Amino acid sequence: MSGGVLLQAVISGLSVGAVYGLVGLGFTLVWSLTRVLALAHGDVVVASVLVAVIAVVGRTPVASSPGVADSVLLVLLTLAAGIVVAVASYAAAVRPFLDRRHRSADVLGWVAGTVTTGLVIRTALGLALPAAAYAVPDPLHLDSVTASGVVHLPGGTTVTVRSFAVFGVAVVVALVIDWFIRRSRLGRGMRAVADDVDAAALCGVNVERVVVAAFMLAGLLAAIAALLDSPGHAVAVDSGALLGLAGAAAALLGGLGSSRGALLGGLALGVAQQLIASSTHLGASWATTLPLVVLVAVIAVRPEGLGAGRRVVVE
Amino acid sequence: MRTFAGDLYLLVAAYGLALPVSYARLPVLGQGAFVAVGAFGTLLLAAHGTPLLIAVATAAAIAAVSGYLMGFAATRLAGASLALATWAVAWLAYVVLVQFPRVSGGSQGLTHASPARLLSASLGLTVTLHPWVHVLVAGGISVLMAAVLCHSASGPWGLDWAALRTGPTLADSLGVPVQRRRRALLAASGALGAIGGAGTAILIGVAAPADYSPLLSLQLFVAVLIGGTANWWGPMVGVALLAALPSTADNLASAMGVDALRVRAVLTAALLVLALVLRRPAADVLRRLTARWRRPPAVTYDDTETAAQADVPRGATVLQLEGVEARYAGVIALSDVDVSVRAGEVHALVGPNGSGKSTVLRVATGVLAPSRGRVTMSNGRPAPRAGAAAPCVAAGVVRTIQHTALLGDLTAGVQTAVGARARERVAFAGLRHLIASPTARELTRSRQRVAAGALTAVGLHQLAAQPADRLDSADQRLLQMARALATGAPALLLDEPAAGMAATDRRRLAEVLRRLAGDGYGVLFVEHDMALVGTVADRVTVLDAGRVIASGSFAEIQQDAAVRAAYLGEVAEEREPTDS
Repeated sequence: MSGGVLLQAVISGLSVGAVYGLVGLGFTLVWSLTRVLALAHGDVVVASVLVAVIAVVGRTPVASSPGVADSVLLVLLTLAAGIVVAVASYAAAVRPFLDRRHRSADVLGWVAGTVTTGLVIRTALGLALPAAAYAVPDPLHLDSVTASGVVHLPGGTTVTVRSFAVFGVAVVVALVIDWFIRRSRLGRGMRAVADDVDAAALCGVNVERVVVAAFMLAGLLAAIAALLDSPGHAVAVDSGALLGLAGAAAALLGGLGSSRGALLGGLALGVAQQLIASSTHLGASWATTLPLVVLVAVIAVRPEGLGAGRRVVVE
Repeated sequence: MRTFAGDLYLLVAAYGLALPVSYARLPVLGQGAFVAVGAFGTLLLAAHGTPLLIAVATAAAIAAVSGYLMGFAATRLAGASLALATWAVAWLAYVVLVQFPRVSGGSQGLTHASPARLLSASLGLTVTLHPWVHVLVAGGISVLMAAVLCHSASGPWGLDWAALRTGPTLADSLGVPVQRRRRALLAASGALGAIGGAGTAILIGVAAPADYSPLLSLQLFVAVLIGGTANWWGPMVGVALLAALPSTADNLASAMGVDALRVRAVLTAALLVLALVLRRPAADVLRRLTARWRRPPAVTYDDTETAAQADVPRGATVLQLEGVEARYAGVIALSDVDVSVRAGEVHALVGPNGSGKSTVLRVATGVLAPSRGRVTMSNGRPAPRAGAAAPCVAAGVVRTIQHTALLGDLTAGVQTAVGARARERVAFAGLRHLIASPTARELTRSRQRVAAGALTAVGLHQLAAQPADRLDSADQRLLQMARALATGAPALLLDEPAAGMAATDRRRLAEVLRRLAGDGYGVLFVEHDMALVGTVADRVTVLDAGRVIASGSFAEIQQDAAVRAAYLGEVAEEREPTDS
């Protein structure tokens, strides 16, 4: 592999990985507060953007660049849809299976609930959108940051300018969220609930509100990930499930419960995937399986993820 | 006939999945992957000239090993990570099939001559596998599975499964090898899934990736969920609904003019939602219906029967902690703690909240590894490696948990029988029970005797047939003791057995504790009620801030300045430090 190809793979890997990181961030957030693994999180990502596209562009979307009004509308609707779908999935599929401390009580229940949510989202979108895959217009116009849309790399190769933009935006969003969790009042409430529900409740934290806020935040992150990721390639109704599992792999690589870990895990996963994809021996097929293999391997070695140093005494 | 045979193979796979999901309450979302391993594994091997039966057996073995390995993901997170791992495996299998045509034969799939023929050169025999042969095979396996599940409900397997599905931690504390049982169930599940897949592939002579998408895993999962918890007929109901799904979907699809596959997904989703919503109410209705003709246990509880005497000499040390230090995430919870329990004595462990009493019990039962010091069990045996409580039960130390932990709605008699399993040393007890061997029958009788004896020892023999969740809280505490007693471990560790008991119940408890010591057990109990401690304890050890500050008879402890300081802050002028 030449230096130019290597650089190309790393840059596009960082862009893909940043999206995984955002998805993983939502996944890890939900887990820390409720000990529930959001198995439908990837479907929320796809649902948010497709709902907005259906509403603004129609059921037969075209890839042409949307105008200013449509762009704004698309962005707002995507964000709103992400939040609404995430909160709805919480209310319907997760909340009934939590105990009064908002922690996982009936594992079989929420597992069935979340996979049902994913299946319902996929089938509903499948009924609304008859074609196999869609090109989603880019409301953020990330391709038009430079005139040509590509950047020439030293080794004679090129990457799309969108790769840089996606990576930049995603990292900024992740840092803002990280700051929010660490500094804001609501964020501190989330950390308190994640650490010790009972103590948090005794200190006057409204646990239900904090948990719902966490799901809203996860939905928001899913929608941002969708806005960054979807315009780059064809979006299939079913592609959310794999994206969600990649996010889960990112979260586990960085250690469940760690927001910075999720982003770093995502970046590592993305770069590794692109390196495999551009290698002549392995190629795209192996790259597609990588997140799943990583996920299974990490769970086999450390069920709570690699970064999680603390061993919790189960009782 | 072909469709029916196909449905029966689906039933085989569903029976496989029912083992971990319905009998052990593990969230397994990847049965479709095992089915795919069976289908593609068999056809791949057959294409390379492997005889068909050997190909099926190999594929099933591969799936069984994978299932066994998957069991390691079910260790922590209460099985939640198993859901994620199996869901990932379901997708992994599908992605591999789609992305690697060399394995799957591309979108056309792998093919095999249909109907297949089994050839045996040595016997000069050729068997053609007509659809009705498949019906016989798949039907036979399904009926066999139903019979096995129905019959083993009352046997060793059924008891262990019931315990580990209703309370894994509790099952572990009673000596049930939880992880081993889970792995065995997952391995069997994988093998049955693969057999179902192989059968289908041979039946229709083709295996195409599109038929093994994660939707198949979800369909099998919903079929098992619909069947309810631990019903031998459950998978039949679930698969019957599932079998009606394709034709219904096709009819609906042609009527509405939409894609049939989409409609199947919609119907699967609807079934899942239905199964979720109806899970609790349906279980309640079933319970009420079956309660009417559920046979009472065939044991007569004789008042004169007592628990078996502990088989250690009186006065022998049954548990010893020497210089034990324990930490939680670096925080020192115990330092340099010495506690010993002798057969025939009641030893009380007291101390203010947070002084480390429960931690002593955790270290003693192998739940928490000491960072320093030594734990020895009866006969001077060193403690097994920490991590699970079950090995310690086998080594002679058992404990009850502080909050009243119940194995759901199982009857008091059954719950005590789960404890009695710990003292059984018969290999393949579950298999022997299936064929009703003389050993197994004798084992059942002795188990019932032990359970009856343990219940009698705590005075609950009249309530043996009662579902435990209907006992009052004092009786539930006593049931906990009966369960521990039934394990036969000579060292009984009781965490606040009197919590929530009224005065009369405390007197009952005191009597029971004295009687256990009289039968030769060594009892170590954590207690706050000093009146109770004064009545029953031969020896008292006082902990404060993770250290032993005093040890001796109750009278000696009462006079101890350090103890009074720990309980009352500075030593008070007036006497009588009563604690309640």
